[in-house]
Amino acid sequence: MKHYSPLQMIRNSTFPISGVSLLKWGGMLVLLLFPILAWAQDAATQAMSVEYRDIPGIGSRNIIWIVAQQHLLLAGFVLGVPIFAWICEIVGWKTNEPRYDKLAKEFTKLLTSAYATTALFGGILLFLLIGLYPKLMAYLTDIFFPSFIAYCILFILETATLYMYWYGWDAMQGRKKALHIFLGLLLNLFALGIMIVPNAWATFQASPVVIADGTAIERAWSAMQNPTWWPVNIHRLIANVVLGGFICGAYAGVRYLLAVTKEEKEHYDWMGYVGNFIGVFGMLPLPFAGYWLMREIYQYNQQMGITLMGGFLAWLFILQAMLIGVLFLGANYYFWLGIAHRIPGSEGQYKKPIMAMLIVLLACLAVWMTPHSLVASLAEAQKMGGTHHPLLGVFGVMSAKMTVSNLMVLVTFMSFIMYWRAGKVETAGWAKAAKGLMGVLLVIASVAVIGLGIWGYFVPAIIRINYFSVAQVLIVLFIMITFTPLTALLMKSAKTTTEMVWGQMPVRAGYSLVLNAVMVILLMSLMGYARSSSRVHWHIYGVMRDTSEYAYSPALGYAAAFMSLNTFVFCLLAAFIFWVATLGDKAKSQPPKDEPVKVPPMGSSTPAMAGGAPTSEETRK
Amino acid sequence: MAQQSLMGNIMKKGIIGVIIGAILVVFAKMTHFPFVFQVMFFMYAMLGAFVFILLDAPTMKRLEGPKAAIALVVFYVILSLVFTGGASGLPQYDPEIEKGKIDKILKRRKAMTEQGKAEVLIARVKALDERAIAIDKKLNSLGADKIEVVEEVGSVATSAGGDDILALGKEQWELQECYNCHKLGGEGGKKRGPIMDNIGSLMTPAQLREKILYPKTWMAEGFDKQYKKGKMPDKYKDLMFDEEIDVLVAFLASLKDTSVDTPKPIKMN
Repeated sequence: MKHYSPLQMIRNSTFPISGVSLLKWGGMLVLLLFPILAWAQDAATQAMSVEYRDIPGIGSRNIIWIVAQQHLLLAGFVLGVPIFAWICEIVGWKTNEPRYDKLAKEFTKLLTSAYATTALFGGILLFLLIGLYPKLMAYLTDIFFPSFIAYCILFILETATLYMYWYGWDAMQGRKKALHIFLGLLLNLFALGIMIVPNAWATFQASPVVIADGTAIERAWSAMQNPTWWPVNIHRLIANVVLGGFICGAYAGVRYLLAVTKEEKEHYDWMGYVGNFIGVFGMLPLPFAGYWLMREIYQYNQQMGITLMGGFLAWLFILQAMLIGVLFLGANYYFWLGIAHRIPGSEGQYKKPIMAMLIVLLACLAVWMTPHSLVASLAEAQKMGGTHHPLLGVFGVMSAKMTVSNLMVLVTFMSFIMYWRAGKVETAGWAKAAKGLMGVLLVIASVAVIGLGIWGYFVPAIIRINYFSVAQVLIVLFIMITFTPLTALLMKSAKTTTEMVWGQMPVRAGYSLVLNAVMVILLMSLMGYARSSSRVHWHIYGVMRDTSEYAYSPALGYAAAFMSLNTFVFCLLAAFIFWVATLGDKAKSQPPKDEPVKVPPMGSSTPAMAGGAPTSEETRK
Repeated sequence: MAQQSLMGNIMKKGIIGVIIGAILVVFAKMTHFPFVFQVMFFMYAMLGAFVFILLDAPTMKRLEGPKAAIALVVFYVILSLVFTGGASGLPQYDPEIEKGKIDKILKRRKAMTEQGKAEVLIARVKALDERAIAIDKKLNSLGADKIEVVEEVGSVATSAGGDDILALGKEQWELQECYNCHKLGGEGGKKRGPIMDNIGSLMTPAQLREKILYPKTWMAEGFDKQYKKGKMPDKYKDLMFDEEIDVLVAFLASLKDTSVDTPKPIKMN
């Protein structure tokens, strides 16, 4: 007797049928036909029920990862640059120094050329999200639709304002300058709106709240007011300034490396300095904003906080500490190079403080990079006596990390103050007392920050988080707020002993500006991965599961390779955009090669641009 | 910075860096740091030496035109390789762990979808196919009267033992991440929700079920603030299947450690 398997029987349709098997095979047929019947539905209904689509080869998650990252980085630049371009413009307006206005205009030129590309990537991202994640997008649209309308209106207003701001620059000089400044204010306000509205969608995914019943607007508003919305808004606002500053710095660094004429070298050396300055000053409050965000995450969902800081993403924060550490080192190194090369003769005077600062920075970096819980093998853990190393455990806790991050900020600020004072001798009668006071305050502040950090081990977490950490931040802010105007006053009457020479920085200064920008871009990519991975396998944490095949979090090494790729693509995009933006300039400005070098005067009294700047032709007139 | 020869600069500071790094490694070994930390400490020392070398390095030759652009790309590639290599060198999280957890959670849910139903049916057909082939082989080798009844492939045990139910309940405790807010057996959070070790002595299974499905119906003594803020999510009736809630309730009802002071539940509405 020949025996057939059910599948063979169905395929052949000529199989022996016995009384017992008839029912069985009949049942099988129904079972097989059932899904076919189920699939034979109305096409529209089927389309509605599609949860995911995929792009073969690259995968839906990867393509979204790339496009979203490019959009976010471009958006960070586009939203960050107007802030300091506007401040530069105000400085130029108030001090009547056209070089600041020129710089602000150059920043805005980069902004306008990047704006369209940002919008382009935003559009691509939206289409991909709708196509690849229809269920998630339908859910988010249902909740946030009124905010979509608000976003569109803000986008139109931002675009119109940017057009007027950029194309009206030359027309709105003189008496109309105030109107132009007002346009700059509007530009920044609309940009803020453009940033915070999508932040609500993204933060809702990480920390959704119970949505109140009511009108569509009420529902959207209640969803927007989720616990991590404002911490992310503040964190991103500052980070955008940092990104914009360092990218402008890198742009200037590259232009400096490629510069041929001395005027170009002077200008881009100065622009690089300003970009680094903006990046550093934005970076100083960033750890505090990050701390607030993490605190809110822990308060919202302890498990999410643990996943980030002590779970499978713990090593990510070691990588983050390394990137931030290199960024701090790079930014300080650029200041130190400035002392050595722009102010000849100062290097000897400041060598010892620079060495001391470098050692403090490295020691702080080592503590910052220390994880709380060690990933160790069983044998290693037995040797250590647990997952917490008896020595290392001390440095792995938040109290130690807050202390060292404050100290790194303090050291970087002092690098800047040192750079500012280099090549000058204070002449004011009260200068000695002021310097003494600053020295005493600095020592007290450092001791207080370290003291609070140590004391933090012996108090409950709530006191440490709510009082001690806040006190540490306030101490550092106090130093920055008191030292900046005090130094500005001292420098106003100071005698210049060594003229600052622009355009003399070594080649590696340009590379250090590029390094800083790359570090910031990698950092933003890394933290995007962290934020997304902290939701683990949820599209919307605790509400909508990710049931796609890409629901799992990729390993750190794989993610790092992706971040490098994203950074490279972004750098290529930025290089192309900036190249296009400056095509016209090359034709316009080709000064004679043998024109004598103009040594810029020292002693710009403007604190925000401490260190002076090369004087442009307009200023001379 | 005093200009000195590049090689002299590298040699001097490099050697100091290696010595400090070696001292750190020896110290780390003596104090039983894991190997990855010994490497990291050495890298700290070398990073410091590198920055010190850069501070005193002589000025590099200025490159122009395409050479400058190529140098920039090479610089980026080096940074990228160091970053990716460093990240890959750190202990890696294994995505398979999360995949396993996701599979566990989604198995039942997937089966409920049309695609899932189809997949289940196809799986059943395949199982029957295999069974038929097995029977066929047996018939050929043993004869029809000696065919043993083969247990249906893929069938689920109709009655799970008590221990199985508790194990499944414990699994739900983990999968739904109850430990995030409730402490049990000395593990988990305790600020948002009460400790659970003795909850089985204080609530009946029906009451436990009511609390999971409708969190506002019961409040733990001393947790007024958390109750008012709605800390207990009102989502489990949507996220969990009845069977999952049943096993979780059974597990919670079995928690009767009277030595632990679980707060008294108060009926609210």
